[in-house]
Amino acid sequence: MELINIFLKSAFIENLALSYFLGMCSFLAVSKSVKTASGLGLAVIFVLGITIPINWLIDHYLLSENGLFGMDLTFLRFILFIAVIASMVQLVEMVVEKVSPALYSALGIFLPLITVNCAILGGSLFMISKELNFSESLVFGLGGGFGWFLAIVAIAAIREKIRYSNVPAPLRGLGIAFIITGFMGMAFMALMGIDPAALVGK
Amino acid sequence: MGLLNFIKRIEPDKDKHPFLHTVYDGIYTLMYVPEHTASGGTHLKDKIDLKRVMFTVVLSLVMAYIFGIWNIGHQHFRALGKYVGLTDGLHLKFAFGIAKILPIFIVTHIVGLGIEFYYAYKRGHGIEEGYLVTGALIPLIMPPDIPLWILTIAIVFAVVLGKEAFGGTGMNVWNIALLTRVFIFFAYPLSISGDGVWFAGLTEAKAGAMADYGWIEHYIFNPIFNALGWDTFQAAGTAVVDGFTGATPLSLAFTGGWDNVLSHYSPSELWYGLVPGSVGEVSKPMILIGMLILLLTRVASWRIIFGGLIGAALTAFVLNQWGVTPMMQVPWYYQFYMGSALFAITFMATDPVTAAGTKWGKWVYGLLIGFFGILIRVLNPAYPEGWMLAILFMNTFAPLLDYISLQSNIKKRLKRAKV
Repeated sequence: MELINIFLKSAFIENLALSYFLGMCSFLAVSKSVKTASGLGLAVIFVLGITIPINWLIDHYLLSENGLFGMDLTFLRFILFIAVIASMVQLVEMVVEKVSPALYSALGIFLPLITVNCAILGGSLFMISKELNFSESLVFGLGGGFGWFLAIVAIAAIREKIRYSNVPAPLRGLGIAFIITGFMGMAFMALMGIDPAALVGK
Repeated sequence: MGLLNFIKRIEPDKDKHPFLHTVYDGIYTLMYVPEHTASGGTHLKDKIDLKRVMFTVVLSLVMAYIFGIWNIGHQHFRALGKYVGLTDGLHLKFAFGIAKILPIFIVTHIVGLGIEFYYAYKRGHGIEEGYLVTGALIPLIMPPDIPLWILTIAIVFAVVLGKEAFGGTGMNVWNIALLTRVFIFFAYPLSISGDGVWFAGLTEAKAGAMADYGWIEHYIFNPIFNALGWDTFQAAGTAVVDGFTGATPLSLAFTGGWDNVLSHYSPSELWYGLVPGSVGEVSKPMILIGMLILLLTRVASWRIIFGGLIGAALTAFVLNQWGVTPMMQVPWYYQFYMGSALFAITFMATDPVTAAGTKWGKWVYGLLIGFFGILIRVLNPAYPEGWMLAILFMNTFAPLLDYISLQSNIKKRLKRAKV
């Protein structure tokens, strides 16, 4: 139950893209078509789902005071987390290039740029501040990735729909995408404040 | 045809007075169906254009308007402990309701249509009729005492950013009327939520507060009623009765469950709408009349309406079985008696521009609106009512639902074509 709770919370209620506005660069840049957006979204789910548990292990067994070295090395968090993320993204890149060259070329520079996608590092840091355990951090990663995936696919569908709309010239492209993102954030406020824990009684 | 000839004669010159011509064109096409219908390769060749469709929706709202106007007055006098009977002081109740709703209605149309006219003129297209329905819906979803300057800001926000930025009528992704309301809800929460705001014309909606009338009641209605020998509005010395809390059914249900609601209102009062609330949402029979009109003329999609109703009923039923908070134990069929469930599903969810367009998409869209509406109402302590946000949430995903539906159809047909 606790795990379902964390999944729902990280996917819908505390959506990385639309509540924290993390990962905006690729969110706005790769959301022109649903196909590429869902490809990138899946990559983000994968990277988040893998890096957060690995970072949990590193944080817990290497960096913390009762870890392998017996001293507080948490000041190394950022650099180690980013190293893990970068290597995972390399892995994803190789897999995508092999499996789907079309998607690989469509994503272009934004695939390696997942490394610096704030949502990924943000997820790892949220994992620390929320003091999750290992299985919880795995679910948190998958849930957060799923929420980000949902958000980018939804905005891509909206942008495909309004492709033929008579949007005022100065707003075409990124301008209207920013406005859409704002409205989406407003719509996602619908779920903010729901505590799935209330389902099992207070 | 004398009027038509007259109107044709005064048509302003398009090049000399472009703005006047835009205004003229908008009014002309509202009054008369276009002279030319589609021809050639299209399938539909009648005169039912967008304006006629929109007007059907406005007509279906009339009953809700009449009841809402009466109910503003009824709730006001009920709080004061006067004219408690349904037919007592009928003229006062209607006059009071009109004095409250008319300024909202006028401001809504002046601001909204002003923006619409300006953009139509600036961007060189005809005045489109989307604002007819939006303008008719906005007063229905506001509390009667909403400050007009807040309303103005919200309408400017919704129409400029929500509609004109996307290219005007028919292009918006989110429902304009709901954007107006959600803007007020988040920016000025005290004026649109809580127990006090649903009773108009009290200096403060709580026990001991005094009645408060404006110049419309004093200088327009009172002399008329005086001349006719009827009762008049009397501000001095009328205070809210003891024990009056102003709580709405939903806030009662959230704190104490269905029994708490029953201790204040009977189910038939809830059904017929003798309760505080936004202007249009209270009376369920009037909404059902509107729903019937929309369904018979096929202006609203029955898939969305029934999807919404089924989704809400199922969700409420499942939460009934769960039943750990007082709100969850409210019998599922009574969820439709309270709040704006029926109104939102009938008039807001079925907006053809922002809803999903494919058959499959409409079902899923409706079902999920019902699901999220009940979910937010029951589970979210931050919001007393969920339909506005549930519909905006599903507006966000409507294009995605259409995309999925289209792609699966394309795949199916490709498979068939290969065989």
